[in-house]
Amino acid sequence: MTDVLGSLLMRESLDHCVKCTICETFCPVSNVTPLFPGPKYVGPQAERFRVQDEPSFDASLDYCSGCGVCTQVCPQGVHIAEINTQARAKLRETHGFKLRDRLIARPTVLGRLGTPAAPIANFTLENKPFRLAVEKVVGVHRDAAVPKFAGRTFQKWAKAHTAPATAQRRVAYFHGCGTNYYEPRLGEMTVELLEHNGVAVEVPKQDCCGLPLQSNGMFDDARKYVHKLAERLVPYARQGVDIVGTSTSCTLMLKREALEILGLEDDEELVAVSARVFDICEYLRAMHDRGELKTDFAPLEEQVVYHAPCQQQGHGIGKPALELMALIPGLEVAESDATCCGVAGTYGLKTEKFGIAMDVGAGLFRQIAEAGPDGSVCDSETCRWHIAGATGARSVHPVEVLHRASGL
Amino acid sequence: MTTLQADVLVIGGGATGAGVAWDCALRGYDTILVDRRDLAEGTSGRFHGLLHSGGRYVVKDRDAAVECVHENAIVRRVAADTVEDTGGLFVTTPDDDPAYGDRFAEGCRATGLPTEEISPAAALKREPLLNPGIKRAFTVPDGSIDVWKLVWALANGAAAHGARVLTYHKVIGVRREGDVVCGARLRNELSGEEVDVEAAFTINASGAWAAEVATMAGCEGVHVAPGKGIMIAMNHRLVNTVVNRLIMPADGDILVPIRTVSVIGTTDIRSRHADELPVTQEEVDQMLDDGERLVPGLRAARALRVWAGVRPLFEDKKTGDTASTRDVSRSHAMLDHLERDGLRSFLTITGGKLTTYRLMAQDIVDAMVRQRGEDRPCRTAETPLPGSEDREQYRLGTRLRAREDELQTEQIICECELVGRGRLEAAMRRRGTVNLDDIRRNLRLGMGPCQGGFCMYRAAGILHGVDRLDGPHATGSLRHFLQERWKGMWPVLYGDQLRQARLDDWIFQGLLDVGHVPADLEGLPTPVDAELQPATLA
Amino acid sequence: MRHDVIVVGTGVAGLAAGVRLAQEGARVLVLAKGIGATHLAGATVDVLGYDPARVESPEEAIGRLASAQPGHPYARLGAAAVGEALAWLRDQVAASPMAPYAYEGGLAENLLLPTAVGAPKPTAAAPVTMLAGDLRRDERPICIVGFRQLKDFHPLLCAENLTHAQAGAGAAARGIELDLPVSGRVDENAQGIARQLEDPVFRGALVQQLAGRLQLNERVGFPAVLGLQDPHAVWSDLEHRLARPVFEIPTLPPSVPGMRLYTILRGALRAAGGRQVIGPEVIGPVASGTRLEGVRVRVGRREEVRYAEHVVLATGGFASGGLVLDSSWQARDAALGLPLAGLPEPGAPRFTSRYLDDQPMSRVGIAVDDELRPVDAHGDPVYEKVRVVGASLAGAVPWKEKSGDGISLATGHRAAELILAAGGAPAGLTTATQEGR
Repeated sequence: MTDVLGSLLMRESLDHCVKCTICETFCPVSNVTPLFPGPKYVGPQAERFRVQDEPSFDASLDYCSGCGVCTQVCPQGVHIAEINTQARAKLRETHGFKLRDRLIARPTVLGRLGTPAAPIANFTLENKPFRLAVEKVVGVHRDAAVPKFAGRTFQKWAKAHTAPATAQRRVAYFHGCGTNYYEPRLGEMTVELLEHNGVAVEVPKQDCCGLPLQSNGMFDDARKYVHKLAERLVPYARQGVDIVGTSTSCTLMLKREALEILGLEDDEELVAVSARVFDICEYLRAMHDRGELKTDFAPLEEQVVYHAPCQQQGHGIGKPALELMALIPGLEVAESDATCCGVAGTYGLKTEKFGIAMDVGAGLFRQIAEAGPDGSVCDSETCRWHIAGATGARSVHPVEVLHRASGL
Repeated sequence: MTTLQADVLVIGGGATGAGVAWDCALRGYDTILVDRRDLAEGTSGRFHGLLHSGGRYVVKDRDAAVECVHENAIVRRVAADTVEDTGGLFVTTPDDDPAYGDRFAEGCRATGLPTEEISPAAALKREPLLNPGIKRAFTVPDGSIDVWKLVWALANGAAAHGARVLTYHKVIGVRREGDVVCGARLRNELSGEEVDVEAAFTINASGAWAAEVATMAGCEGVHVAPGKGIMIAMNHRLVNTVVNRLIMPADGDILVPIRTVSVIGTTDIRSRHADELPVTQEEVDQMLDDGERLVPGLRAARALRVWAGVRPLFEDKKTGDTASTRDVSRSHAMLDHLERDGLRSFLTITGGKLTTYRLMAQDIVDAMVRQRGEDRPCRTAETPLPGSEDREQYRLGTRLRAREDELQTEQIICECELVGRGRLEAAMRRRGTVNLDDIRRNLRLGMGPCQGGFCMYRAAGILHGVDRLDGPHATGSLRHFLQERWKGMWPVLYGDQLRQARLDDWIFQGLLDVGHVPADLEGLPTPVDAELQPATLA
Repeated sequence: MRHDVIVVGTGVAGLAAGVRLAQEGARVLVLAKGIGATHLAGATVDVLGYDPARVESPEEAIGRLASAQPGHPYARLGAAAVGEALAWLRDQVAASPMAPYAYEGGLAENLLLPTAVGAPKPTAAAPVTMLAGDLRRDERPICIVGFRQLKDFHPLLCAENLTHAQAGAGAAARGIELDLPVSGRVDENAQGIARQLEDPVFRGALVQQLAGRLQLNERVGFPAVLGLQDPHAVWSDLEHRLARPVFEIPTLPPSVPGMRLYTILRGALRAAGGRQVIGPEVIGPVASGTRLEGVRVRVGRREEVRYAEHVVLATGGFASGGLVLDSSWQARDAALGLPLAGLPEPGAPRFTSRYLDDQPMSRVGIAVDDELRPVDAHGDPVYEKVRVVGASLAGAVPWKEKSGDGISLATGHRAAELILAAGGAPAGLTTATQEGR
């Protein structure tokens, strides 16, 4: 069926399902709540009962967090999570989009609003009565870990930053909304680490990749955002310049999810960009394979837990962060076996899903608590905020660990 | 030996026979309906599910087309629950002559069939998997009809009016007193017991087997040509509209979305006997190739099951054999044996198509009423069948939506087709059957992609408890179901379905080891073609 | 990055090879397009159950089978190699964090364990949690306990059939269906129940339900739900509280014992420095002549190459899409395009009309030489450093013979041995320690 629209290809993959239950054994959500009947059920099974133009009434589908673990473990090649996401968009279209979802799906809008007034915004967001009101009115759980506004943007820093003269290669940095408004320091560290290893970093103007919009079913808006982003990044792709990203979920969006789920196979810019996008650890590991990475790391006598976010695993590249951190003397890294921390982007923020998100992550949180005070390492910002909120311990991006060990 | 009495004995539990029973019951006749197997195991249960708009006949057989136009509307009313308003398309593929479309349009005009020519782009928007090279497209009011639901609604409706329905009762002799037919002798195929039915009137609605029954009554020269056709059910809806090829009716020219599957059909080969319905490799390949014309990539899609049905094509002995069974009339034939053979109280109805079941039933019951000198009008055109009282047509998402309400309260047994435990147990009790295949026909148990791979063991375990069967009988039922399902799978066992079958082999044989559990097959039907040549098919 | 060995597939065959190699210092990369059949199969080690009569002693029977069927994988291995592999697996389990959970059994005499439908099934080895169900020479009556919420297991049917299957002799069996102690879901699966059984309070409630309902001498059989992380604790606690032997019976997927086995082997791979990446699908070889340099993989939308000295193909046969039959009745190996053996001629039947009969397609797979290298129609190796293991092999009908686990385990283990003998480890040794775990 290769001559068919990209998104239909996802649906057609339901033919491969042999009902083996493997996806169900791995689904973090259905394993903690009966409200979600499981990926096999809402994906390839229910899809046989769905008609394109007819409304959708299977509300239980909404409990799918979109973590994508089901697709990864399926031995038959069913694009389960992608089918679910598409079906959920249809469900939302039928029943309308909540104001909450419209808000939290637009991080740049929130970012632009919150950044100038960061101190007040952050104070408000920590204020219990305010959070209670937000929960009641908007539907974001009062205890959901929302990040702090940094009060400045990474873009601004990048504009003022001059790259060193000597560089063997260059990359374009797709930093994502999280870095821009909430973790600009991570962006700085990324640039510094790359420059330290002889890579010049260009930071193009950029906006959201549209992933939260896609996860929340607002496909048309998601398409607009991802296309705009592709337009900004495609000049680099066409020049053969690699595009690296520190938000592993956003890079996956560009690598594959936008094309598969939003049916954008005809978007030439996006296709060109998608072929040149790399997760930052993936990129650094490739540099290491070629002998281009500086491995004179200072020892870090710490014990951390590394959690590969569900969407990092969706890249199918193994866990390069583990391999990189293994180069740092003294650093003990315990690998978490959890498939998902629970937050799955914006899922765990929602009032009706927060409890589920906490149950999903319970095992991981326990492992981190038992490991000691040094906290965890994780490649996705929404995961880090959720994990830090639940464990009270720091959660950092692998780049931060490498940056420190590089003595920068 | 048991003797039963009734006003009317209806022989044949397909759509026609069940329709006759319903019609009789509504007119106040005490009716017995019999079938040698389960209801609708003959022709009715083996067609693709098309509720004809008539479009397939507007050029070649305008009378048939007019009938369809008319009956289509009635069936949608009275049997709403069994009909899905899929709509239909007639499309000119790159291999077809676009000029035929004009003849088609003309035929629609002449027969009153509503149609509209739309652009190929519009057709592709509606059905994205269609051949992108189609040149012309017309819409028609085709629908798809669930024949199991229909036949059981007719039978249950008749039963609610006092009729008795006897499945697995084969007619082994027609009773006569002089020139009056007064019923039949039946044999219970599961127990071997014989039953006599004394009926004031007998209606032979046994379709492709009508000649056998008529001969048993002493009528000569009745010939029903078995026109075999195979159909393949594809795992999911490749299309949601019925798609017809815009040509003179030919093989493999229709793809019908019916419930959760789409069915590609059909071939047309004269068979020697209505029970001899081999599925050949050539036919399978032909269907797949024909399907590719309509939906490129169909060969890569998953085929679930193939089966052969037999069209009852009545031949008037006076005109002799015809070369192609397709050319023999598709309109139904009613044999008035009083006129023809001097036999009273016996009528035969055969031929026809499922869409006109109600009309066929009406015609024959009217004829019976006339022969009896009574005045009882037909009410089937206005009376909704059980389940269709609200006149809401079936929608594909029905089961999925209903399941939402019982997610936390009802255990799901057949996951592919969303059959819950409560419904399953109720059906087992209601039918009082040990045959899981009967349940399959009622509930679609095991009709999804895994073809019972996961639900068969569960159902056997539940049957064991509900029916208080002993272990070997429950296992026998499981083995019987395994074999029935294999029958339809193996000729199209490739690709994804082979993966499924192999996984199921690992489960049934490797894990459960069903081959080494004592199995008692008593009370289960043997294959109809067991007496004919062995089924070794290349 | 170059590995010593790439293993394609993460079922028992692939993991057996991968773990053995990694433990000897080879740099191992296990690539799999998804999880393997560990999660679906019963996790007993079925070596040879029927040939076609019931096999008492696999040791003997393997020898006979090898002579009678020279194309069978066991003909490439011999009973000694199978025995070694089984002993190796037992050691792995015994040395794992899940100890004292262990496998028992060997090739001398098959156990006879009940299946979920009540068949007495011969198997060579099984976890300790299943052993009390052995039907050999044990006439103690059996009480099979199931749960209404677990539709994947039917205790009364199982018990009745078990009694009938033993034809009046042996152990009488009866069944009881309980409601799960804590009213939670109406629809459970084995994994959900296994998790709950790891809670001692839940176990206590279950024991309470059975109090007074069990007869004096009865041993108790449950579906295979006796814990995921610590099955020995769950099982021995139940035995202790019920004061009688307890055993579990494998049933429909998800297979809890299979998931345990996966956890053990996956953990052993990780501990030995092996890597596993789930997601990439191997779609072709990178080779010149009989020299394979690596494999082409599809990762998401990209096609990349992974290089290795050796490749072990453990792709699971037709069930997992490792071998493919298309609608034109052409069959192929989806990973490396290796030739298949045993295929019926074009036009000849691939299947017969009776389900339980021998099917022509059953034995189709990749034929190998004594070094487990894939061979062509002339019997010559297609590649020097490729080994084929497990269900993708030609010549067996594992689900009928009850030989699947034995074939997967033994060929996987043997492939590792052969690679090590061919010098497959040293290159990776130093680097593996450097990146150590």
